[in-house]
Amino acid sequence: MKPRVAFFDFASCEGCQLSVANLEESLVDVLKLIDIVAFREVMKEHSDQYDIAIVEGSITRPMDEERLKKIRANANILIALGACAHLGGVQRMANQWTPEENKKEVYGIANPADIADSNRFFEKPRQKALDEVVKVDYTIPGCPINKEEFAKVLIALLTGRKPPIPDYPVCVECKKKENVCMFTIGKFCMGPLARAGCGAPCPTAGNECEACRGYVDHPHEKAQTDVLEKYGLTVDDIMRRKTMFTYRYVEKPKDGA
Amino acid sequence: MKILMKEDFKAFVNALIGDPSLDTVGVKAKGQKFVFDSLDSADELRLDYDVTILPPKKYFLPQYETIVEFDMSQPFSAKRPEYPRKRVIIGVHPYDIAAIRQMDSYFLDTDITEAYLRRRKNTLIIGSDVITVSPTAFFGDMKTGEVKSGYDLFITDLGDRVSFEVGTEEGERLLRHAANLKDSTPVDLQKRKAKRNSANGKAMRGLMAKPNVWHDLLEKNFESIVWKNQSDKCLACGTCTLVCPTCFCYDINDEINLTLKSGERVRTWDGCLLRQFTVISTGEVFREDIVDRYRHRFHRKGRYLPDRLGFVACVGCGRCSSQCVPDIADPVKMMNMLFESSEHVIAEDGDRDAHSVSIDAKNFDLEGTISLHMPKPATIIRAEKVTEKEMFFEIEMDDHKPLGHQPGQFVEVSLFGSGEAPISVSSPPGGNTFELVVRKAGDLTNKLHLMKAGDKVGIRGPFGKGFDAEALKKKNLLFIAGGLGIVPMRSLFNHVLNNRPDYGEVTVLYGCKEPCEMLFKDEVAAWGQRKDITHLLTVDKCPDGECWEGDIGVVGKLIPKVKFDPKHTIVILVGPPVFYKFVIRDLKKLEVPDENIIVSLERRMKCGVGKCGHCQMSGVYVCKDGPVFNYKEIKDNKEAFK
Ligand SMILES: Cc1cc2nc3c(=O)[nH]c(=O)nc-3n(C[C@H](O)[C@H](O)[C@H](O)COP(=O)(O)OP(=O)(O)OC[C@H]3O[C@@H](n4cnc5c(N)ncnc54)[C@H](O)[C@@H]3O)c2cc1C
Ligand code: SF4
Ligand code: SF4
Ligand code: SF4
Ligand code: SF4
Ligand code: SF4
Ligand code: FES
Repeated sequence: MKPRVAFFDFASCEGCQLSVANLEESLVDVLKLIDIVAFREVMKEHSDQYDIAIVEGSITRPMDEERLKKIRANANILIALGACAHLGGVQRMANQWTPEENKKEVYGIANPADIADSNRFFEKPRQKALDEVVKVDYTIPGCPINKEEFAKVLIALLTGRKPPIPDYPVCVECKKKENVCMFTIGKFCMGPLARAGCGAPCPTAGNECEACRGYVDHPHEKAQTDVLEKYGLTVDDIMRRKTMFTYRYVEKPKDGA
Repeated sequence: MKILMKEDFKAFVNALIGDPSLDTVGVKAKGQKFVFDSLDSADELRLDYDVTILPPKKYFLPQYETIVEFDMSQPFSAKRPEYPRKRVIIGVHPYDIAAIRQMDSYFLDTDITEAYLRRRKNTLIIGSDVITVSPTAFFGDMKTGEVKSGYDLFITDLGDRVSFEVGTEEGERLLRHAANLKDSTPVDLQKRKAKRNSANGKAMRGLMAKPNVWHDLLEKNFESIVWKNQSDKCLACGTCTLVCPTCFCYDINDEINLTLKSGERVRTWDGCLLRQFTVISTGEVFREDIVDRYRHRFHRKGRYLPDRLGFVACVGCGRCSSQCVPDIADPVKMMNMLFESSEHVIAEDGDRDAHSVSIDAKNFDLEGTISLHMPKPATIIRAEKVTEKEMFFEIEMDDHKPLGHQPGQFVEVSLFGSGEAPISVSSPPGGNTFELVVRKAGDLTNKLHLMKAGDKVGIRGPFGKGFDAEALKKKNLLFIAGGLGIVPMRSLFNHVLNNRPDYGEVTVLYGCKEPCEMLFKDEVAAWGQRKDITHLLTVDKCPDGECWEGDIGVVGKLIPKVKFDPKHTIVILVGPPVFYKFVIRDLKKLEVPDENIIVSLERRMKCGVGKCGHCQMSGVYVCKDGPVFNYKEIKDNKEAFK
């Protein structure tokens, strides 16, 4: 019997699910291999009977945690899809400040009533990755995910192998593409820490890598910080780069969290 | 020497581009840098380039290369892909030609790599003198700014004209595309000489330690603090190895297509600075500390390859130094730093340099080469689960020929879609079938556990250096096996039992974690029936409910319990990495001479034939020089028992 696969989303832009929907012609092949029983991006009906849950988005509120735990209980395999689910996403940057500070920043302080905690959507939002709430079996990193990699992970699962997510830095793929290194043209790059698998699209297009796929298992962070300093970044700038997608790695619990 | 005026030269290049039998590649600009790439027009060609981001090795050992195409819907279907049409590369600098010749020596030594040879024979090299010198280049110091061979044609940009030197007949034939070829004048020759001298002079960066002292310098300063000081700044990004024209290490992975029916085995660049380079499925990492990886790269270039192939594996292109972001990969700086801080007198090693021993790739015949990575079909005759984690297989090659192995050798077992793994042959030599015992550890081994009699597997090998059963004749033998170590040991042990009169006293000590993990239980029981061998068994622990009559404790504890003459017994040890440290210590307490200890070691492996680099233990390739070693030969190998 074909494995039943269900997609779910939490706080996210749904870009990763869209990448999956955009597998286009190959999606036809993928569909032959699995039964998709829930996928808001491409279908209306859905079922709670599934083997593999593919979950996008970060966990923000207590009600999200409950829902995620239910999904986990239903699924044999749970896959975190994309940077939000893997790391907490760009929205995790907000964890640097207290919920009150964030509300003030977003809504101003003109109307104090708005920042009262009466509205339940403002219940102290804190961004979490899925694995901070439930056990995650596999992660497909990236913002957005790389659709070829998505297909590879699916193939690996269907053929009983470990998903082939590399544990070497983006520089490796970048070098194989023979790119001009960002550092040699006065830009900065998180490629030496970032986990490869994306094929280094950002430096290939002349943009700095922001480590949207998180770090390799044993990143040489200190050496990277030295390099960024040597190339002229201030401590604040370095911090900003390290918090874009990867605040998870430096986060310290805040009051009000 | 011949001359083409610039306009005629352009016409020549355009004629090459227009030749449908050729893929014409040359140096082009990419942003502020340069790359080798397909040429669309002679106007793109930049003979004034300083250095390319990647060396031309990408045309002989591509970043990604399909080495086997397979069809999983068939019992066994593998074919090698088509190779591209003939290629001509315009503008290869002398140092890169020297590097290609090093690659020739590496890939065309005892095992000829067919894919490499095919590409090599299929590629014409138009060398070119260096006009602009990159600030990090030091080919002047390395004496690789000039080459006498290794090209089909060699050109020099002399401003309004280009000079041509013919290297091979095939190169000469390319000149049919050239119109208005003239003989050179003495002035042209003089001009060329001046250009060369100037480039070589500029490419001197004050290397204090000449290439012929690198070997001794590295050897004597293995423990220098310089390694740690520098490697603390290392990002472990792999760049210095990937961009290096004399780094050849590669990885191999299977990729399955979306239909789940077919796929490809893909070879791709790897590098020793990356942590995953030495990781094995148990999670063990043989070079965990970055300092070990950082140091290995320099030692490989200045010591290990020189020992193996006779040349210094650096041609002074300066790519590593210009592309290492923290700027710690530069051989000039490293060697000078070592040289200045060295407390030892450093010996010279003749006139050894980066020029390879003379080997001419074009003279190699493709007939008779083997595709190193193409497995042969074989059939599982018997498959039995023997413990919770291990399965026993009896296998026959589909050509019905014996495997032809020596005890202690291994094969690469291959399942399309799941990869390959080195597995020791467990049966003694001879016979039309051979036996393996496989522990569930990862992708390939998990799949093997689902297989049954009649299923097909791929086999490459036998590989490596096994036990020398001849040399052991008449000797007293003490076998000590820890855990899965019994599997390779059995190939020798059963051979000895089959030829028992040829050997002296035979004792075997076998230990594993728990009674349920004991392998070959029937054979072990039969040992007890024989009067001509002594055996003792032990387990680390015996959980409640299991019965056990042997000892409890690590296998080393059995050593004092058997009588053997430490001075006149050959001890054969096979076990997991931790096992060696303790057992060897116990044996040394009894004053067993080093040369009487024989070990079989494990490292991450991919190719099994001394090419991919994964199994390197300092300068030793475990897959080829081992896995069986005499302890005396490797006890001083810094990475052997780390
Ligand atoms: C000389 C030698 C003899 C061996 N003999 C046996 C044997 O008789 N029986 C047995 O069960 N195992 C043996 N091993 C270990 C066996 O090779 C690994 O368990 C196996 O490679 C795991 O492959 P995998 O695809 O299942 O695991 P994965 O974790 O998916 O491994 C992926 C790849 O990494 C490499 N790799 C991983 N682990 C090892 C390792 N331990 N050694 C070398 N390469 C590794 C291989 O190339 C492998 O294909 C031997 C290893 C060596 C080096
Ligand atoms: S551009 Fe970035 S990813 Fe590419 S090599 Fe440079 S640092 Fe690494
Ligand atoms: S290059 Fe960096 S930022 Fe871009 S996709 Fe890859 S990991 Fe993400
Ligand atoms: S030495 Fe430099 S290029 Fe090499 S891995 Fe370290 S940081 Fe990267
Ligand atoms: S070690 Fe550096 S300088 Fe030497 S050949 Fe390699 S990349 Fe070039
Ligand atoms: S072992 Fe050598 S060839 Fe291989 S990557 Fe390291 S330095 Fe390069
Ligand atoms: S060199 Fe490839 S396994 Fe030894």
